[in-house]
Order: sequence, then structure tokens, then C-alpha cells
Amino acid sequence: MIVANGKPLEEIIGVVKGHRKILVAGCNECVTVCEVGGTKEVGILASALRLHFLNQGVEAQVGETTLQRQCDREYVVGARVTVEPYEIVVSVACGVGCQFMAEEYNKVPVVPGVDTSFMGGALERGVWSERCQGCGTCLLAKTAGICPVSRCAKRVLNGPCGGSTKGKCEISKDVDCAWQLIVDRLSSLGRMEDYEVLTPIKDWSTDRAGGPRMRIKEEVAS
Amino acid sequence: MSFAQKLAQGRFVTLAELEPPKGVDVAAFVGHAQRIKGSVDAVVVPEMANAVMKLGSLGGCMLLANKGMETVMQVCCRDRNRLALQADLLSAAALGITNVMAVEGDAPNLGDHHKARPVYDLDELELMQVIAKLATGKDMAGVELEGAPNFTVGATINTGAMGTVQQELAALDKKLAAGAQYFVTPPVFDLDSLAAFTKHLGDREVKLIPNVLLLKSVGMARAIGRHLKHVHMPDELIERVKGAPDRVREGILVAQELIEGIKAAGYSGVMISPLGWEDRLPQILGA
Ligand code: SF4
Ligand code: SF4
Repeated sequence: MIVANGKPLEEIIGVVKGHRKILVAGCNECVTVCEVGGTKEVGILASALRLHFLNQGVEAQVGETTLQRQCDREYVVGARVTVEPYEIVVSVACGVGCQFMAEEYNKVPVVPGVDTSFMGGALERGVWSERCQGCGTCLLAKTAGICPVSRCAKRVLNGPCGGSTKGKCEISKDVDCAWQLIVDRLSSLGRMEDYEVLTPIKDWSTDRAGGPRMRIKEEVAS
Repeated sequence: MSFAQKLAQGRFVTLAELEPPKGVDVAAFVGHAQRIKGSVDAVVVPEMANAVMKLGSLGGCMLLANKGMETVMQVCCRDRNRLALQADLLSAAALGITNVMAVEGDAPNLGDHHKARPVYDLDELELMQVIAKLATGKDMAGVELEGAPNFTVGATINTGAMGTVQQELAALDKKLAAGAQYFVTPPVFDLDSLAAFTKHLGDREVKLIPNVLLLKSVGMARAIGRHLKHVHMPDELIERVKGAPDRVREGILVAQELIEGIKAAGYSGVMISPLGWEDRLPQILGA
């Protein structure tokens, strides 16, 4: 899933102040699962904004909505009657959702209520960890299912680097060295021969080097 | 005789690491180098070690080359992509700098520019393959070069950091395959622990250059023992420096003994890192 962090309330207030009709818009997908932008968090942020305006003696209307998916035009368009009466939308979906909203509603400013961080998963309730940077050419088959692009601080493809110490990464003793994980897992899979070959020099053109990326599935695209 | 020739002939080489300044006042940097000219084979000029912004390796090497000294330039993956790395390598070779060391580069969060976006387009081994490719007269894209650079390539080896000797040997073999001609080790304070690794090398042709770091204080020795988990800092050594009437002198003696031990054990050379004690290098080297 895409993992995000809520922006500080003061920052959001700084952006919406001056507006009197504010819509907080959540999303039912990743940001719900990572507990930052679902119906519940929309309610909490809207209440905090209402309280702020009340304390300031300002009369403002703060609305709440949660779309099925903000990253899907179908749902974004479908929210027109809800969105258009407002002066500004605070999107607590990921950066993709926020942009899809902004692209659809060109008369209403749409601002982010979260900082979108990474693609990862939940290790346990309330703990998420990065696993993929969408490099466009997945290497996991050669790296024992552990991604050096997202999990190694230096994206080393022939690791570990000189900073690896007893399984920990040089950037912090709390971070596992991805390459120690890879090497250990390759050894336990009996596949150290995968480690012995030099990884071919990575083609980053499928990453950001080739500019914004697009995927078209011909069979279903109209 | 040049550093590369001595290395190739199996003669003991002495390297000293000299940090370029953070700023443009190069008098001390050049002065330190000149005082050891003749007693070292080449000066290694780090490229923003510990991710601290300062005068770069290429510039530092040029300054010393202009004074007639041989240098080793560090090429660092952290801050440059494959275009910039290749361009710097061509610049270096055209300016007469033919000794290079590929380094990964410490992550920016360890240095003084925490907000930097790291590059890491290539890693150390990819970079070494690129250096080898340039020597064939072609760049990474396969385009013909007008004149191919020819480098003596060093690499780092991280003895003792991984789980098993087998894993370390596999990592070493990859560096050899990528074109490493010599290896600089992490700081060594105990030659026995290094020998424990080298006895596994078998018939590999590995030119090892142990790194000797000057122990400036008991605190420094303790910090190394505590934080650099793969560097073995013997307790007796800490006690010895602590109990010495003149700790500075003792630190220098320790370095001299290590250098002698490294020579006697038949290693390919030594790299001395003074870390602020540059003015004591002549004494250590007997210059
Ligand atoms: S190798 Fe690339 S695609 Fe595969 S998990 Fe890592 S970043 Fe994602
Ligand atoms: S210590 Fe490991 S995870 Fe950290 S940068 Fe080096 S190879 Fe990558």
C-alpha cells in the first residue's frame, strides 16, 4: 500500500485560513489501511479544524467526505455534487488522489492533508515499513525477495557496502542492512551462487530517468 | 617508480590519506603533503568523507600533482550519476591522474548536509565495471572514446563485517571480477584478526593494503572499539595508551609498530590515516 503521514495541523490551518467552506476528503483505500486518511481520520481532522475556527471566533463550514478511491477518475467525477459547493478541499488521500481531485476540479483548490511517503506494508498495527520504490524492473528474483532499491540506504545492487556492520546499516543501528538480509536469505535458500554473480548495471530508464511513467493495457483501454 | 609499477612488481607501497580543506585555503593541505613527499608512494585524497562537504578529490589531487606528487583519486557513487562519474574519470585521466579508488560514499545523513538527495545511480562494483569499460575505449553507452583512460583501480574491503567468511569471500570475488587491483581494509589495530581473514584467501591474487589510523587518545580508541563493530580494538592496546607517560608519543609508536608488522607480514602496502595529526606524519614515516 501507499503509506502517508498526517501533516501537522498548524500547516493545514495555514493553508485553509481565509476560506469559510472547507471539505476534508478521505479515501477508502491505502490511507484508510495506514490510518491516516479514512473516514475516521477525516472526522478527526474536520473536528480539529472546526475547533480551531470556533476558538478564533470565525464562522466556517467544515464538511467531510470519503471517496472509494481518489486515484480513480470514476469516483472523483462522481463526487462533483459534494465537492463543488466548497471553497477548498483538503485531501487526505495520497499524493496521487490529491492530484486526481485537483485535475478534476479546476475551480476549487485541492491541498494535501498528508505527506505521502512510501510503498510498504504493515509489520504490525501502527508500524509500516518501506518495501518498493517502483523502479520498473523488479530485481527480487535475484535478491532472495528482498529489495535493495528500497531497503538499502544507498540502493547498492552489489552489496553490502563498507558501512554494513553485523547486520545493521550505517545510517542507523535500528535499520537492518538490506544486503545482510539478502545474503543470509540466499544462504538459507542454498542459493549463494546468485550472490556470486555481479548484478548487471541497472537500467534506471524504467525508474524516473525516463520521465513520468504510464501504463496502458491495450485489451481494456478504450 | 610509480605507485602502479611498485604494486605490480609486488613491492611494498605506502599511502597516506590527506583530507582536503573545507574551503579554499589549501596551504596546510599542500604543506602536509610536501613534507611527506618522497616517503609515500601516493597521497589518497578522499572525496567528501563522512558526507561532509569540502574541496573534492579531483581538485585535491590536481593541487598535489602540480607539486609533483602522485595521488589516488576517490570516485564516489553518492553524489554523481553515471554521466558525471565518467566525465570526472576522463577529466582525471586527461590531467594525469591515473590512480583511482571507487567508493560508495557515506550516506548524507551522516554528514553536514542532511537535506541532500543522494544519487547512487551506480554502486561501487558497477562503477568499477565502468572504469574497466572506459579502458577499452568505449563509454557505458558503447560510444567510442577519443583516447581511452587507463587506471589503477583500488577498492575497499570490509573484513569482519559480514556474517561468515564465505560471504566475505564471495563479496571479495565480485570486486576482483569487477576489476579491483588492490584493496584497502578498514582500520587495523590487531594484525592477528586481519590474518584470521587472510588465511582464507586461498590462491586468490589479492593485494591488501591495511589501513593504519593514528590513535590520538584513549577516548578515540574506546570509541572505535565500541562503535566500529567490525574493527577489533584490543583491550591491551587501550590499556597501553592509557598507561603511557606520553600518550601522544605512544599513539605514534603504536602506528609505527603496526606499519612494521604489516611490512613483516608481507602485505602489499599500508595506508596511513592521520585524521588531524597530519603534522606527525613525517615522524611516523621517518621522513
Ligand atoms: S526491485 Fe524495484 S520493483 Fe522490485 S521491489 Fe524493489 S523497487 Fe520495487
Ligand atoms: S549498510 Fe547495507 S543497507 Fe546500509 S547502505 Fe550499506 S549495503 Fe545498504
